[in-house]
Amino acid sequence: MTLLEVNHLKKTYATRFSNQQVEALKDVNFTVEKGEFVSVMGESGSGKTTLLNILSTLDKASSGEVLLEGKNLADIKDSKVSDFRRKDLGFVFQDFNLLDNFSIKDNILLPLVLSNTPVKEMEARLLPIVEKLGIANLIGHYPYEVSGGQKQRAAVARALITQPKLILADEPTGALDSKASQSLLETFEDINEAGQTIMMVTHSTRAAAHSNRVLFIQDGIVFNEIYRGNQTVDQFMEKITQTLMVLVNRGEQHD
Amino acid sequence: MTKQLFAKLAIKNIRSNKQIYVPYILASIATVAMFYLMTSLVYNDFLMERSSLLPMMFMLGSVVIGVFSFIFIMYTNSFLIKRRKKEIGLYAILGMKKKHVAFVLLLESLITSLGSILIGIISGQIMGRFVFLALNYLLKFPVSMDYPFSFVVALITFAGFTVIFFVALLYNISQVTFSNPIELVKGKQSGEKEPKSSIILFLLSVIFLGSGYGISLSIEDPVSAILYFFIAVLLVIAGTYLLFISGSIFILKAMKKNKKIYYRPNAFISISGMLYRMKQNAAGLANICILATMIIVAVSTTAAIYVGTEGALESRFPYDHNATVFELKDAEKMSEFENLVRTETENAGLALTDYSSYRYETLSGNLESDTFVVPGSSSGNLVPGEMMLIPQEDIERMIGAPLQIEEGEVAVYHSKGPYSASTIELAGQVHPVHQFTDSSVKNKVEEQLKVIEGNNLVETIILVTPSVEGTDSIIADYVEENPELFVFGTRAIIGWNTTGTEDDKIANSHTMDKILNEEGFSTMLDSRDANRQEWYSANGGFLFIGVFLGLLFTFGAILITYFKQVSEGYDDRDKFQIMQKVGLDNQMIEKSTRSQIIWMFFLPLLIAVMHVAFAFPIIQKMLLFFSVTDTTLVVLCIAGVVLFFSLVYWIIYRITSRVYFSIIK
Repeated sequence: MTLLEVNHLKKTYATRFSNQQVEALKDVNFTVEKGEFVSVMGESGSGKTTLLNILSTLDKASSGEVLLEGKNLADIKDSKVSDFRRKDLGFVFQDFNLLDNFSIKDNILLPLVLSNTPVKEMEARLLPIVEKLGIANLIGHYPYEVSGGQKQRAAVARALITQPKLILADEPTGALDSKASQSLLETFEDINEAGQTIMMVTHSTRAAAHSNRVLFIQDGIVFNEIYRGNQTVDQFMEKITQTLMVLVNRGEQHD
Repeated sequence: MTKQLFAKLAIKNIRSNKQIYVPYILASIATVAMFYLMTSLVYNDFLMERSSLLPMMFMLGSVVIGVFSFIFIMYTNSFLIKRRKKEIGLYAILGMKKKHVAFVLLLESLITSLGSILIGIISGQIMGRFVFLALNYLLKFPVSMDYPFSFVVALITFAGFTVIFFVALLYNISQVTFSNPIELVKGKQSGEKEPKSSIILFLLSVIFLGSGYGISLSIEDPVSAILYFFIAVLLVIAGTYLLFISGSIFILKAMKKNKKIYYRPNAFISISGMLYRMKQNAAGLANICILATMIIVAVSTTAAIYVGTEGALESRFPYDHNATVFELKDAEKMSEFENLVRTETENAGLALTDYSSYRYETLSGNLESDTFVVPGSSSGNLVPGEMMLIPQEDIERMIGAPLQIEEGEVAVYHSKGPYSASTIELAGQVHPVHQFTDSSVKNKVEEQLKVIEGNNLVETIILVTPSVEGTDSIIADYVEENPELFVFGTRAIIGWNTTGTEDDKIANSHTMDKILNEEGFSTMLDSRDANRQEWYSANGGFLFIGVFLGLLFTFGAILITYFKQVSEGYDDRDKFQIMQKVGLDNQMIEKSTRSQIIWMFFLPLLIAVMHVAFAFPIIQKMLLFFSVTDTTLVVLCIAGVVLFFSLVYWIIYRITSRVYFSIIK
């Protein structure tokens, strides 16, 4: 079953000081099946972040469409956008984006509180998630009292607690050491196996190697995609590296 | 060479941190100007001429503003240094020594503080002159009010604020010295810990407030009211700070514990946000509360004095013409005086419409249970009271009914409430107290004696004696007991009304005064109409001072509210951006900040109103100095000022919260 469908997505920016148009996305097409764990890779400036912003409704496409379960994101009314973001999407950011004035528990509950969820239900949902993520003993602490890896787990818990259709992760391992990264990626695999659809933007081949499929974006189009199939993480990583080499060479040929 | 480099760096730093330095410098200038204005009033000739009490009050005001300035500047400074920690940490990482960083901070502080102090003094002087001119014009004041530049005040301001800025600098340097560069770079991110609620502070605040309120409630006479007022003010100020610091955390924590309340979108965002920075928040709220209280008290009391002028004139001068005639004792002389007044009024072409007179003798001392003790004989009460002795025939004439006070008996009136004992001891002699059998006569006598007491400022006992001789014998007993006792001698208070215009009456009063004294009556004659102009001018002066202080404090309140909103706006911006990413819409942001309004707006105002309510008794006592006796009038003035100030504060709040929204969006 197709969860996300992106058709002929195009995004152009007018730079502030000239009339020159910058094309961030030219013509992006891909689909994500329910239960997939997809990575998006590409160099800086390739359009990854723009794509993620459009998917998360923080930005609007110039043309083309994004369908989530067949529903066009552009059709969501402005007043419902926040609701949509809160209920249907979960976010994991590079710099965690936890709030210092809330305890870990309250940070995780934030989206539920904003949706006026009854206290009983909130607590019922909280417990299994924090146990699965191994932060059950930390929920009384404040973000500045825990490590980066623990913060990111809390952020994942916050993304999961609304039971979203899709989790969008933007460089989730970018601020973590290799051990914490490894453990977070394993967590991603676990929750993906439990049925959660994840789309992750990353620079790291190791991170991408944990997903089922990798999309390569360059110059505003999906340049290539590879599937993991039955490969191990290391095998898949090898393959991703090769593909990236091709990408780089192709870039040089252009110049 | 290096020094020049540091100077350049200091200037560059201020420039590149414009966004936070401009409000900081503006706020510093404003506090300096406020302090200068307040202190200059202590030395202002126009105000000194009003009342000897005023310089003392302004001195207190200066101290309050001084303390307020200190807290406020430390608060804004800590906000500033917190935002700059990253930059300072970077200097250290790039290889600047700590002493060099301290030197740069010193230079920056020199530039900003000297600039703020100088501009503050200049703008304080300009503002003071402008406000004096404006109010002079508005109140159409007969005497000119001058606002000269005072070198002494400028010097005091300069010295005081140099100290304040120096302490702020020391704080900044200690922040840099006692932390390593990595901590500094992360400085802004490391969150402030949630404050602990302290039950001891809360109890202290209750004790301070309770004793402050207790003073106000227990004060019995105006003279002690003045003596204890300042102590009560200081207690309440201290209590307010502690109450906001401990009480607000206490309440917020309790609300946070209640899951049903806490886990609602608005409460969730606002409670956690407020708790997070409650220490600063509490100080800000307490400042606003104290300023609001001062505004309400200053403006409403002076307004009551001004509006109550007519009533005060009537209570102080019950008749158009009021004479105190010394050594007037015989009934014969009394009628001679009356005839003279009657003839001279008719000679002036006016008619006598009302005439009243009574004779009295006074002794100072206090009532101790059922004994009237004159000072020097036994214990010395701090504030001596007064006893008036009036013969019953004069009271009979005034109320138009016979009394039957027997030889040796006296009727007793006490300003502190009914006198219940059946006897009264006067100079060792026990006199039975006359009990009125006819209750209507009793009421009439009491009413009349209350008018005679005329809201005396001290404890007053009035004895109605059987006759002039009866009065004399009581006085004689006291003199026998204490031969050095000073006795005034019998005087008569005589008042009469005449027909004619205000000018007629004033002119008549002048000629009458001359004639009466020429005819051998040692008379002090006061015309109500002649006094009216004088009183309105004096009371207008008080109103001016009240409005001036009101403006000054409102200005302070604007400053705090504005700075609070700006600093919180910067603090909250990142927070709201994160929340928007996880699905908070603008509507909800506005809603949640609106629920903070309840705290920001209503809490300080509510507590200020509570302070004013408890201060009411002591204020009322002090207003007796200005002959303001009309309680309803005072209540109306306070209510009016509270409403008006709430409106002004609401407008300030709306405007500054717009600044807040523009920052966080």
